[in-house]
Amino acid sequence: MTKTCVDPKKARKILDRYPSGDGTSLIHALQDIQAEFGYVPCEAAELLCEHLSVPISKAFSAATFYKAFSLEPKGDVVIRVCTGTACHIRGAQTLVDELCSILNVAPGKTTKDLKFTLETVNCVGACAMAPVVSLNGEYHGNVQPGTMSKKIRGGK
Amino acid sequence: MTNNKTINLEIDGRFFQADEGMTILEVARREGIEIPTLCQHDALEPVGACRLCLVEITHPNWKGWKGLVTSCLYPIEEGLQVTTNNPEIHTARKTLLDLLLARCPEATYIQKCAAEYGITATSFKKREEETTCILCGLCVRVCAAKGCNAIGATGRGITKGIAVPFRQPPPDCIGCASCAHICPTDTIKYTDTEDLRKIWGHKFKMVKCVSCGRPVMPEKQLEFEAAKAGLDAKYLTTCPQCSQDQTLATVQSSFQSKTVPGGSLEVAR
Amino acid sequence: MRIATVQSLKVAAKKARSERESIKTEVLVCAGTGCLANGSLAVVESLERSICSRKLTAELKLGLKTTGCHGFCEKGPLVVIQPKGIFYKGVKPKDVKEIIEKTLISGEVIERLLYRDPNTKERIEEYTEIPFYSRQLRIALRNIGKIDPGSIDDYIAVGGYAGLATALTEMTPEEVIDSITKSGLRGRGGGGFPAGRKWKTCRNAPAETRYVLCNADEGDPGAFMDRSICEGDPHAVIEGMVIGAWAVGANSGSIYVREEYPLAVKHLQLAIDQAREKGFLGDDILGSGFSYDVHIARGGGAFVCGESSALMKSVAGEVGEPRAKYIHSVIRGLHDQPTVLNNVETWANVPWIINEGAEKFATLGTGKSTGTKAFSLVGKVKNTGLVEVPMGITLREIIFEIGGGIIGDRPFKAVQTGGPSGGCLPEDKLDLPVDFDTLTEAGSMMGSGGMIVMDDRTCMVDTARYFLEFLVDESCGKCIPCREGVHQLHCILEDICAGEGQPGDIEKIESLSDVIVSASLCALGKSAPNPILSTLRYFRNEYEAHINDGKCAAGVCRNLFSFEISEEACVGCGLCIKACPVDSILGEKKEVHRINGKTCTRCGACRNICAVDAIKVV
Repeated sequence: MTKTCVDPKKARKILDRYPSGDGTSLIHALQDIQAEFGYVPCEAAELLCEHLSVPISKAFSAATFYKAFSLEPKGDVVIRVCTGTACHIRGAQTLVDELCSILNVAPGKTTKDLKFTLETVNCVGACAMAPVVSLNGEYHGNVQPGTMSKKIRGGK
Repeated sequence: MTNNKTINLEIDGRFFQADEGMTILEVARREGIEIPTLCQHDALEPVGACRLCLVEITHPNWKGWKGLVTSCLYPIEEGLQVTTNNPEIHTARKTLLDLLLARCPEATYIQKCAAEYGITATSFKKREEETTCILCGLCVRVCAAKGCNAIGATGRGITKGIAVPFRQPPPDCIGCASCAHICPTDTIKYTDTEDLRKIWGHKFKMVKCVSCGRPVMPEKQLEFEAAKAGLDAKYLTTCPQCSQDQTLATVQSSFQSKTVPGGSLEVAR
Repeated sequence: MRIATVQSLKVAAKKARSERESIKTEVLVCAGTGCLANGSLAVVESLERSICSRKLTAELKLGLKTTGCHGFCEKGPLVVIQPKGIFYKGVKPKDVKEIIEKTLISGEVIERLLYRDPNTKERIEEYTEIPFYSRQLRIALRNIGKIDPGSIDDYIAVGGYAGLATALTEMTPEEVIDSITKSGLRGRGGGGFPAGRKWKTCRNAPAETRYVLCNADEGDPGAFMDRSICEGDPHAVIEGMVIGAWAVGANSGSIYVREEYPLAVKHLQLAIDQAREKGFLGDDILGSGFSYDVHIARGGGAFVCGESSALMKSVAGEVGEPRAKYIHSVIRGLHDQPTVLNNVETWANVPWIINEGAEKFATLGTGKSTGTKAFSLVGKVKNTGLVEVPMGITLREIIFEIGGGIIGDRPFKAVQTGGPSGGCLPEDKLDLPVDFDTLTEAGSMMGSGGMIVMDDRTCMVDTARYFLEFLVDESCGKCIPCREGVHQLHCILEDICAGEGQPGDIEKIESLSDVIVSASLCALGKSAPNPILSTLRYFRNEYEAHINDGKCAAGVCRNLFSFEISEEACVGCGLCIKACPVDSILGEKKEVHRINGKTCTRCGACRNICAVDAIKVV
């Protein structure tokens, strides 16, 4: 993995929210790091582990176990297709397939130009409006095949 | 542990007594009753991941209820009745090995275990990316028990693996190779030369035996072990072979001289 | 300001009530996740601006409030005007002027914005007369849609924290546990374990420290009851937890919330801060000497963390791998201490039981399943949303009376309950009463309350494949049967759905499932084969058609069917041509259209849009 620049001041600010040596804060602090940097950079995790007195292997296990974390930077637009049951039976898979082919990426991956990240999420709890797609956290309900592609193509 | 209550239990129709706090597996092994395991090691905490040690338990007070539990984790209790093998358990173990063989078709150890259940080829779909790792987790647990926590599990579900953090040579690794030695399928590799040990992407400089000059252990491990034991590192720089030879020599000479080691030297009669 | 005694709580409640009573007309705008997505914030802003600029607040004694989810999410944004209970759906900012002038000032009803019954086609004016609401009985959801979840005073005005006051000052912990036991309350998260018994075991377990936790990691896809409660009435959850903590003797705890629910996290945190400020959390609650505080733990997006031992590991900052629970978590839970874990809906019921009495709760529902249950009614049903009904009501009543039946009046095929651990029930089970034990006997389970309705265009093999894919993705990977076995089950189903099924696959599925059920470590693995086993039990013919005939009659598995336009039915309207994302439909207006089978991707967009049901599966 290539080393990227992590602003140590930003990382330090996050660490200060948690008492040093408190390993139980690991997941919370990782969530803050993910929110701040858009992913979990190795350097930030190292600083965190030192602060919490947790081995770096534990942070890596957690960062790869939980879906909330990613080890790579995400695109400008994060597209999340809800694949909850209600969305599935109303055609979410078709939307996923369509987006994969338009963006030329697999779910969970980011386009090379770092513009889009395509993700699937197991239910956002907006089942009544299925199928649901969210663009950077903004929900779109009752999405039909074709409508998303127009939105994405417009932004591309 | 001497104050522990004594528990009476029945395994495969035979009656045993054992201390409270023991697991079914511990009692069975003590009595020479065979229960297969893959993820269990006497020196490490059990986790119940491989499920091969499933046994059936019931109890006179349970109104006929019976169920499968992992014997490596289940604490014995008064009056417990254990069956270590029956057709259901046999099928479960056979299926588990069949599944493992689909995961690791090339792992010779798993091939051998599966063959004992009459399986020569898996009946399931073989895994696309080849691996011999059965995810027993012994390597991670031994590393943690050692106090290093250098390696860990990564991901989850079918994509779970064992990896070094952030895919870089693990900073906490001391090069002891305990992970490689405990691995039942020989998946973790390391190479030793006169001067270097290569493991997990690291190149560790080896300490030479003060006596014979052969490599003893990586320098980093020496520092770690000495600090842990509160000893000066020089006490640990003799290789196992030389330590043994020296001990033997001391014992032999003490017989010859009829003196205790370190005492005044007397001429043998 | 801190409310230090029960007396000052009474004073505060009286004051909050009289403030509410001074309002003559109240406009309630739903700001749940569903309505927000439909643009309800813009409606609120527009209302605020107009009301402010026209100085209507004083003149009409008008109150404007954003509330939690009203439940009828599909029709959002929803606006309710009290006390008349006028119910407007699909309100847009451009409707605001008319609402103010006609309804608020002149007292007229705007026909256009009223709900129209999809079956009788009649417009219904009042909230309580809409079948979706009139058949419901709301206990856990009692305040949602009525109060502002961001205001603790609003909660106090409707009797909030009175249950806590009663428990702390008039009841011993044992009496609280007795009351919960008598009410028959069972855990609403899926297991259905009697709450009273759980609390008692925890209280009696010898320990210095005990914990009371709330599971808000609502992982079942297709379920959003807990999300709505956290968003719409967070104080009910907190009050329930403090009562529970008093009963078992715990002084701290956590609420474990899914990070996919940002609004729920926000509202819970706000409510916790307010409760601390008022002294309902922290030291010496209401002058009782009892202390309890609660923190939010955000889940990291792992379904398995709904399992109690995995959840507790996650709260402790570790990877959420379950452990064998030969010693239950109620004895050895969080940090190895006795721990009570109940889910959001269970906790929300607790203050009601203390206030209204255990007997009243116990008279609702059926013998062993008392009270009510919230369901998220979704899928191919006309009225989708959140409903709370007494236990024992039939599936048919929920789907056809509250839900209004199947979209487009298509044939009902199945209803899925219990999430990935549950199962699909066919039409002949529609008259079963909905309670914990009946659903389990029928091969499904209550689960946390997801209820997904499926019509003839849902393929049951694909549905099973979908759940298995979910479980493969969510298995923690610790034990072999779940990690490798569920993966193999999924492989077999993928093959069947792709048209590569083999004779013997069904038998292979069944024997592997048996081992997964008996050998897996935790409940996720043990119940993972349920979606297949229940669909095999009731829809075996669909599996056989896929394997033996290479046919998917529902038109879902793309290798196993193609679309054709029926010449008799097609009216040549052109809707399908517009809907087709790959331009595979040809035809002139008013002439029969034709599908180019070579380029058609079988996405079904044409079939979804066709008004005359002319797109056929062949």
